[in-house]
Amino acid sequence: MKNKFASVYFSVFGLIVLGLGIAELIIGIAGKSFTWSILEISGGLLLWKGIILFFAGFFYLSSVKNLSEIHQLAKNVMASVMLWTIAGMQIFAIITESIPGGEEGWINTWEGFLSAYSPPYIPALILLPFSLVTVYYVYAREK
Amino acid sequence: MLDVEQRWELIDKIAKRTIKFGKYRHTLQDAIAEITVKPLTGIPIAIAVLYGFWAFFVAFARFSTDGFLVKLFDMHWLPWLQEVFPAGKESWLYYIFVGDPLAENCFEAFGMLTSGLFVVIGVVLPAIVAFYLVLIVLEDSGYLPRLAVLIDTVLHKIGLHGYAIVPSILSLGCNVPACTACRILETKKQRFIMRTILAIFIPCGAQLGIMLKVIPETVGWVILYLLAGYFILGFILSRIVPGESPELLLDIPSYQRPTFSNVGRKLWVRTSSFFTTAIPFVLLGVIIINVLHLTGVIDWLATGLGPLLSGWFGVPKETVGALIVAFLRKDLAVAQLSAIEMTKYQMVTSVVLVSIYFPCIATFVMLLKEGGVKGFLGSLAALVATVFLYGGLLHLIWILLGVA
Repeated sequence: MKNKFASVYFSVFGLIVLGLGIAELIIGIAGKSFTWSILEISGGLLLWKGIILFFAGFFYLSSVKNLSEIHQLAKNVMASVMLWTIAGMQIFAIITESIPGGEEGWINTWEGFLSAYSPPYIPALILLPFSLVTVYYVYAREK
Repeated sequence: MLDVEQRWELIDKIAKRTIKFGKYRHTLQDAIAEITVKPLTGIPIAIAVLYGFWAFFVAFARFSTDGFLVKLFDMHWLPWLQEVFPAGKESWLYYIFVGDPLAENCFEAFGMLTSGLFVVIGVVLPAIVAFYLVLIVLEDSGYLPRLAVLIDTVLHKIGLHGYAIVPSILSLGCNVPACTACRILETKKQRFIMRTILAIFIPCGAQLGIMLKVIPETVGWVILYLLAGYFILGFILSRIVPGESPELLLDIPSYQRPTFSNVGRKLWVRTSSFFTTAIPFVLLGVIIINVLHLTGVIDWLATGLGPLLSGWFGVPKETVGALIVAFLRKDLAVAQLSAIEMTKYQMVTSVVLVSIYFPCIATFVMLLKEGGVKGFLGSLAALVATVFLYGGLLHLIWILLGVA
């Protein structure tokens, strides 16, 4: 991957992450929730998630200058790890909520199970596939 | 036997065969290791790690407890026990072992075989497993020493150093091994401060699991209030306790991938010790409280301590039973609070009181064993003063907010 392209990509991506982090912080402080299309900003620990996304965005942006340098790349990787932590825990929470059956029985029905995975999703979950570019970049760089 | 010259020759030979000379190139792993200890980058990463820790703990505990174990205990175990228990529903034996005959869930029944078993297996065990699992992964990956370096400056303000994070985090699992872990601190002063503040202000994993079930919306605020107390009391003790607080010298290992076998073994060792220390105390606690109820001692104590509890702390006098049981097991005490009718604010105060009130008996024994009689009495004095001042302060906050 060309370094210039990677820098541009992570600049744009970092801005989006930073923006969503600020949005989560504002909505978290206001104690409100927000839903738009498949995006949902609500739920527990919103402030914490906002702080983490904000810093992840900040790390992405501060890593774009001379991205191939190892310390800059480390910042980029850690920004992705921070994002993966939120998204990973959300996926884990969805899985653990989708299995038990509630009042009806021990295990959830097939419809109930599938509906647990339907949108809307939190910002970190939507950003997750786009952050995987970091893995490709590290892999391509080492090759 | 080799003389000095021969030894040096041997060292040279070994060095030539084992050491490679050249320019060292930083790897990505080295760079990541560096940025996780630098405050500017390390603190946000630490926040993300702690968030992941808590989110996993909550999701795992909810999945096990609310998803399956509540159903198992409330829909199968309790009705079965109520039906087959040999003693009559009016008998004292039934009251002690099964509890309230009209109860529809194990939380409210408060019998040894109902609430006692439900608290230990249904609520606390999943919380303990989730907590230790994440803690072990963090330990084995090499992240904990980095957290120690990061928090070193903050902990110096309360007379400790970064390594105090180890007993502090361990204490979130169980205060008993955390008291032993205080030995990693160098001076008597540091060990005393650490033991005292962890015994008072850090809720154990069992307690956290129950708090999550009883006061899910306010558990964050309770933890924040306790955390503030941890630093305030630490700061005061660091000023009045004589002794030294040396600097931290720490060798930070490189990051490693935790292995399944190590994680599994450590998890087994830690959770199995929970079975031997917690279960007998919880079951014994339920028996004692039920006997005290039957003999009227709880009512007598509630009447006697009523003015103090409702006047100074602003909680109902019925909480006296929970405070007594807190001496045996704090998780059980929080569970007992859930059956008492009170406002949200009174519930928060009661949970805080149970947390900062006398540590459980197992921790009590450890305080005596590790600190000696003098240290133990010192911790006890700090504890009594803290309960009155900090518990009263919370009541004052509610009064000022106009909710009490």
